[in-house]
Amino acid sequence: MASPCEVLLETTDAGLAARLGARAAAEAHRIEAKFSRYRPDSVVSRLNRSNGDPVEVDAETAALIDFAARCHSLSDGAFDITSGVLRAAWRFDGSNRLPTTAEVDALRARVGFTRLGWSAPRLTVPAGMEIDLGGIGKEYAVDRALGLVAHRFPGAVLVNFGGDLAANGAPATGPWVIGVERPGTDRAARLLLDLSRGGLATSGDTHRFIEVGGVRYGHILDVRSGWPVRDAPRSVTVAASSCIEAGMLATLAMLRGPGAEAFLEEQGVEFWCLR
Amino acid sequence: MQLKKPTPGALRLGLMAASCSLLSTPAFAQSAGDVPAEDETPWQFDTGLLYYKENDGRVTTTEPVIGLRKDFGDEQVLNMGLGFDSLSGGSPNGAIPLKKAQTFASPSGTILSNVGGTPVTYTTPSGQTVAQLSKITLYTIEPGQLPADPGFHDTRIALNADWSEPFGDANHYTIGGSLSHELDFVSAVMNGAVSRDFNEKNTTVGLGLNVELDSVKPIGGAPVPRTDYRMLDKLGNHSKDVLGGLLSVTQVMSRTWIAQFNYSYDTSHGYLTDPYKILSVVDAAGSLTDYRFESRPDKRTRQALYWGNKVALSDSMVLDVSFRHGTDDWSVHSNTVDGRLRFPLGNPDIYLEPHLRWYHQTAASFYHLYLDAADTLPEYMSADPRLAEFSAITVGAKLGFMLEDKAEINFRIEVYKQDPTQTSSSLPLLSGLDLNPGLRTVIFQVGWRHGF
Repeated sequence: MASPCEVLLETTDAGLAARLGARAAAEAHRIEAKFSRYRPDSVVSRLNRSNGDPVEVDAETAALIDFAARCHSLSDGAFDITSGVLRAAWRFDGSNRLPTTAEVDALRARVGFTRLGWSAPRLTVPAGMEIDLGGIGKEYAVDRALGLVAHRFPGAVLVNFGGDLAANGAPATGPWVIGVERPGTDRAARLLLDLSRGGLATSGDTHRFIEVGGVRYGHILDVRSGWPVRDAPRSVTVAASSCIEAGMLATLAMLRGPGAEAFLEEQGVEFWCLR
Repeated sequence: MQLKKPTPGALRLGLMAASCSLLSTPAFAQSAGDVPAEDETPWQFDTGLLYYKENDGRVTTTEPVIGLRKDFGDEQVLNMGLGFDSLSGGSPNGAIPLKKAQTFASPSGTILSNVGGTPVTYTTPSGQTVAQLSKITLYTIEPGQLPADPGFHDTRIALNADWSEPFGDANHYTIGGSLSHELDFVSAVMNGAVSRDFNEKNTTVGLGLNVELDSVKPIGGAPVPRTDYRMLDKLGNHSKDVLGGLLSVTQVMSRTWIAQFNYSYDTSHGYLTDPYKILSVVDAAGSLTDYRFESRPDKRTRQALYWGNKVALSDSMVLDVSFRHGTDDWSVHSNTVDGRLRFPLGNPDIYLEPHLRWYHQTAASFYHLYLDAADTLPEYMSADPRLAEFSAITVGAKLGFMLEDKAEINFRIEVYKQDPTQTSSSLPLLSGLDLNPGLRTVIFQVGWRHGF
């Protein structure tokens, strides 16, 4: 998951805490091994190497593809698991190199969820295209790990995988207090939030941008143009019923650029935008 | 910046639905070397303590119940239960109150062994000396009081288990059994059911069968039906069996309404008489002439139609309403209306569930409040208040606290009031007496559920 992961629960049984922590870690590792595009043996890598041949996927993968399809349609195409190819043109390394329009357009031809052939349980990824479940994998792992631990522990549990988190209830002492790191500062928690039940996810990263002529291009790419979304908040944190729902709302808000706040207000969720 | 709106936007609703669908899909391991998928749940532990009290010092019981449930995933579920009852207090013996004191023999005496073949002698209520192998305890009922054996005491232990799992593409089966043991009664039940889902799981049709085998060993022996109670003419043990079937259709009517329709049929054979129940025989003036042991047919067939509904009135408010109509070849026909409404009490983790139930039954064809000495003794006869015509109403409420995760503690209180239709007689010596005062009970229950 490339970030610190923790499971918080209130117990005096150290053995139980260790066992439950190990279960959550095992679930995170399972999901990472199965869906990471950096693992050559993952389902995603296998699909990306399929050269346009249909591949039959298992029920869990199918559910994730279905979810991605639903998000693609709900966002009118803004969220797209095939957008990863565009990264070849955009390196969000803090440098000031912008790609040419021709470069971007060449890559756009290899992007688009509707170009995939999806008829569950068979997925066809055309040659030259790639899918990436990185945009939902971590949040998905949080919800899965919480479900696993909560089955075995009667009290309140909070699962936090690098700032994306979910809780099944508040401890006896009151809601969980979450510190949200504020962009541009050094790890000091600047925003303190209360969370009782549900998920919290943040989209936005101060360390991933390109700045040219005073314009900061963030790492959120709009597949429809091939360019980063302009005037997006630096960070969006959303609280929703589950971590994956919160994460998707945060991502979709980023894609709205200047309209992020209005979009989230319309959805009726609690959110914190930093610009 | 922090904003909160009560109504989710259209996109969010779509996203919530998609997230729920995703997270409810079981996770599967990619290959054998991976961490196995987990959808087993831990043991669910359900325990309760029930306190039941009837009016006028009649039956009182305290009953601890323990239930265990384990979901093995893939819809394989094991249920087990253990119950223990301790009943004490009086159970009406069927005789009517009189304006004078009445003396009866309690069956719950000590059974004496027939040492050296010498019969034990004792005196019956009427003053006769009888030789019998049982020692009888006498009890006296004050004038105007309903005769009930105050020395009644019994303990019951019951065990049950059932296993349910899917088979084929849309079928389930359940098999189970139970054993119950009382001082004078042993019962074994076997049950099995199959069900099939249709119409994208919106319709479920089920068929169930159960067989019950009972052994009845009345304390002091089973009396010879219709004989004079004072002769204490008793025989040995008896048995009965019950064969039952149930046909059910469960239908999802809408997103917020589930209905169930059941038809049940059961038939009992064997010793269906209550060995401890008698009838008073009175003359034209209302003066007691004697008591007779009751007598019931050795076969009974019951049928019932049931219509149950669960309706979600809102996210957190659930209405449960059911109607039942039962018929019986003993002419005990009944109607029941039962309603419960569950809603949160200020806090989503606290709920209140008021309960209201109305019940009416007609009397068995052989029910008599008392017998007329001038009439020929009927073949079948009983004065058991449970076979009389009566209406009953139950009013109660349950208060539940949902604790961390799936644990819950709840408290239930219910009062039950039974009003018999026929309670008086115009015979001179019986006038003004409440011959069947009915029943009022209070139930208090504490329940606790926990996973471990």
